[in-house]
Amino acid sequence: MNAPSDPGDRALDASLAALPRHLPPARDLWPAIEAAIAPPAARALRPARWRYALAAGLATCAVGGLLVTRSVRQPVELASVQPLPGSRIQSLPVRAVALKEDDYRATRAALETTYQERLAMLAPVTRARIAEDLASIRQAQEDIRKALTADPGSQVLLRLYESTTQQEFDLYSTIGRTTEPVVPRTRT
Amino acid sequence: MEVAVVPISEYAVRPDAQAGSDFTVAAAVRGDRRAFERLYREHVGQVHALCLRLTGRRDVAEDCVQEAFIAAWRALPRFEARSRFSTWLHRIAVNAVLGRHRGLAARLEGIMDEPADTLDRRSVEDAPPLDVEAAIAALPDGARHVLVLVGLYGFSHEEAAMELGIAVGTSKAQLHRARQLLSDRLGLETST
Repeated sequence: MNAPSDPGDRALDASLAALPRHLPPARDLWPAIEAAIAPPAARALRPARWRYALAAGLATCAVGGLLVTRSVRQPVELASVQPLPGSRIQSLPVRAVALKEDDYRATRAALETTYQERLAMLAPVTRARIAEDLASIRQAQEDIRKALTADPGSQVLLRLYESTTQQEFDLYSTIGRTTEPVVPRTRT
Repeated sequence: MEVAVVPISEYAVRPDAQAGSDFTVAAAVRGDRRAFERLYREHVGQVHALCLRLTGRRDVAEDCVQEAFIAAWRALPRFEARSRFSTWLHRIAVNAVLGRHRGLAARLEGIMDEPADTLDRRSVEDAPPLDVEAAIAALPDGARHVLVLVGLYGFSHEEAAMELGIAVGTSKAQLHRARQLLSDRLGLETST
């Protein structure tokens, strides 16, 4: 690479070379980064595990139910589940990001009641895994909420918070859909 | 025209800190968040300087820095030890800035009646003399991006063109344009 011979070019290069190489940000950005990379947040962003566990649990229930039906010719236990009165899960998925804080709390409280009832229909191992994942999502929400208190203008944190909230509602929705009562087919 | 640039190595970590930095990088790759925080503390000044000069806006630059370090943490398992960490991190930061810039440009498409470059150029030509940083910030986006990457951070035109999604010839033309605008703005007489 050739050095410029023109004095103006050399002056410009000298000006550029003199620019400081380190320009620290005016505020500490680490708390927001730490909240984003913390294990609960990371796990909350990858909610596939509980879905697999739920699918496995439901598959076990279905196969078990089919065997029971064929052997004793009685409706499977899952099929006897009646729609829960006042269930609000059917209207999901809820767009969490569109909700304000008060609406979010009210919606979550309503969803959680039905969620707990539906959760009780699942196998204990599946229940434990789903509960663990829900706890991870909520821990992530709490971590991000704390970070937002310190850095309320961070778009990264706001997006993360919306993401974890949506995941929480998606979890409720999935539990609701996958534990819908199964109507046994009748032979004609 | 060939111009003298400050090589990227001079913007990277100090040689005497390299051994310790390598150890810290290795720990971070293994998932050690405290090691990653040390890397953040070590590199945030450089990354912020790069983002600030690419975006020309302090608030946007800070968001880009956060996004870059979060992206770097997630990509660390794929980091290859033979690469220089600072160079790798700079590329992630460039992608964070350009990704945000492309998203913003897409949202503004159809709203702006006049091309952004024209507005920026006019402001550069009409305003009173500024310091170098302010003059760089006032450059049109395309010219500023090439100047920062090639003229300040030692990217080759081929590398800059690949990062920016432009032709190599366009990169060279943008650098020429950036230098000319800067010289005019700073009151320097050049042959460019």
